Amino acid sequence: MNIQDNYQKNKKNIFFSENKDIQTHREKLINIFQNDRFDKKNNESLKNINLKNFIDFKYKYLIPEETSVINNNQENSYSIVCVNGQCSSFKDDKIEITKILDEDYNDFSKNDTIENNDHFVNLNSLFLNSGFKIVIKKNNKIKIKISNIITDDGLTIFQKNNYICEEGSSLNLIEEYENKNNSTSNILNVIKLEKNSQLNHFLIQDNSPNHNLIITSHSSCKKDSTYTQKVYNFSEGYVRNFHYSELIETNSEVDLQGIFFLKDNNTSNNKTFVKHLAEDCKSNQVYKGILNDRSRATYFSNTHVDQVAQKTEGYQLSKGILLSDNASYFSKPELKIYADDVKCSHGSTIGPIDENAIFYLRSRGMSKIAATKILISSFINEELSSIDNEQMSEIIQKKLVRYLSKVK
Amino acid sequence: MFLEIKDLSVKIENKNILKSLNLNINKGEVHAIMGPNGSGKSTLANVLAGKEDYEILNGRINFKDNDLFDLNIEERAQEGMFLAFQYPVEIPGVNITPFLHSAINSKRKRKNKEEIDNLSFAKLLKSKASDLGINIDMLKRSVNTGFSGGEKKRYEILQMSILNPDLAILDETDSGLDIDALKIVTDGVNKLKTKDNSFLIITHYQKLLDYIKPDYVHVMVNGSIVKSGGSEIAAEIEEDGFQKFQ
Repeated sequence: MNIQDNYQKNKKNIFFSENKDIQTHREKLINIFQNDRFDKKNNESLKNINLKNFIDFKYKYLIPEETSVINNNQENSYSIVCVNGQCSSFKDDKIEITKILDEDYNDFSKNDTIENNDHFVNLNSLFLNSGFKIVIKKNNKIKIKISNIITDDGLTIFQKNNYICEEGSSLNLIEEYENKNNSTSNILNVIKLEKNSQLNHFLIQDNSPNHNLIITSHSSCKKDSTYTQKVYNFSEGYVRNFHYSELIETNSEVDLQGIFFLKDNNTSNNKTFVKHLAEDCKSNQVYKGILNDRSRATYFSNTHVDQVAQKTEGYQLSKGILLSDNASYFSKPELKIYADDVKCSHGSTIGPIDENAIFYLRSRGMSKIAATKILISSFINEELSSIDNEQMSEIIQKKLVRYLSKVK
Repeated sequence: MFLEIKDLSVKIENKNILKSLNLNINKGEVHAIMGPNGSGKSTLANVLAGKEDYEILNGRINFKDNDLFDLNIEERAQEGMFLAFQYPVEIPGVNITPFLHSAINSKRKRKNKEEIDNLSFAKLLKSKASDLGINIDMLKRSVNTGFSGGEKKRYEILQMSILNPDLAILDETDSGLDIDALKIVTDGVNKLKTKDNSFLIITHYQKLLDYIKPDYVHVMVNGSIVKSGGSEIAAEIEEDGFQKFQ
């Protein structure tokens, strides 16, 4: 079924389909799909995937029978079970959770940082069927854990979430994606950090082979704010992690980290696009991958330093270990600098495990498999030891042990 | 015979390195191999330790009644062979203490001995490190990472003293050491010497042999041992160089 027919057929289940402005925007998106020749060579959102599978899909969405649960466990700490992308409304003096509204959609659709040829974002806007908005109120320090549950096989979740950290607030956000059914989640997180706010965003991804997870996030940082994203991808199904970031006021910072553990035929696509639009801002990116069997990964990174963005610091680093001759990791960190007083660097190192290090460890009595595992662990040791949340550190360690148990 | 190398020929990437090499080492003996650059000394050390880049063309090696070629790298180490590397490998993120603890226990496991617990190992490590003038803080660091040349060599000897091998191969352990570090390292080696273990010392210079007295000195040129004798050979080399052996 073509995209137009698919949309028309399922319109009644799609958010804001009665809104004229949104309808106009969606018509434009449909035109993009119909006119695009899907240039796989130049369009980074199309690398390593068969887009046809995602465009010719069977739309299925179920409004969850059980509403999501929001618990205020301890002071300033909340846990949310988000079912099929839906989250109940909640309000206290520190946070407010609501459904997303037409105005949130419009607000986002006017942003031009995300390229209009990112077809997964376009699909998200077109078939939007779930999502929520969380506002952290001024000067509050909050912890939120979100478990994302999908109830049925074959569901196609198109979810848009808005996170707003008001001035002086701080949010520690842990998101877990552990779906074992055959479904697709296409999620767009729009994150706004007001003056002097902070968001530490951890994403743990551990889905089964038939689950596709497409996460796109967009953060904008005002003066003295910091957005940190750490992604740990242990999924056996396809995962796409794209992040677009705008440092719009001085002394703001974005710190992006992604670690992925791939095996079998799995694919992980990663992309970042950081725009430095003000002075004294900092961006840091570290992406590391361990790839076994016939797995594949990409890391496309673009750091754009505007001519007004003097005193910028922008760093990009990607590293990969290929455990098999058939695994591949394509990395392309790019800098575009239009200011003259900046500190920027980019680098990429991908290769098999260091045979000299293996020999050294084995020469002390360690088996080859034990030496390989210890070198994999050491490869990501710096990132894992920097996790300051004990519970999360334990979760990641367990998943790492499980991944390593499959390494032969 | 403790170690018997018979008619060993080895090549790497179509280049013959060792050519019909013979060497016998008995228990309790210290042997030194001297030779010019490119004579195959390090290749011999690596082949003994089991490095897999080399192709064995001919010959055999027996070590403690085992055919060495039947043992893989770790089995050789567990059987009591130790190579002190010429260029110890930096391994960021692998902490020295658990690594060495795991190494010693893998050896004990092969010998059906009880594993050493954390506390006993910590005491052993601390005492051996102190003997070698190694700062305790260094034991909190990653293997060889950020170490100076001298620290790396000292750390090799620390590993050797912890693992207490039957045959220790020292591949140019003296290179990059100042005189004080050389003394500390050689003192560490001398402390380990017993009638039950053996050493194969590879060096360019006589200086190391002033501190570790060898029972035998062999001259290696172009992949073969061309002369064997006592420590007088080292003095001869110091005087005249390797030219006359080539």
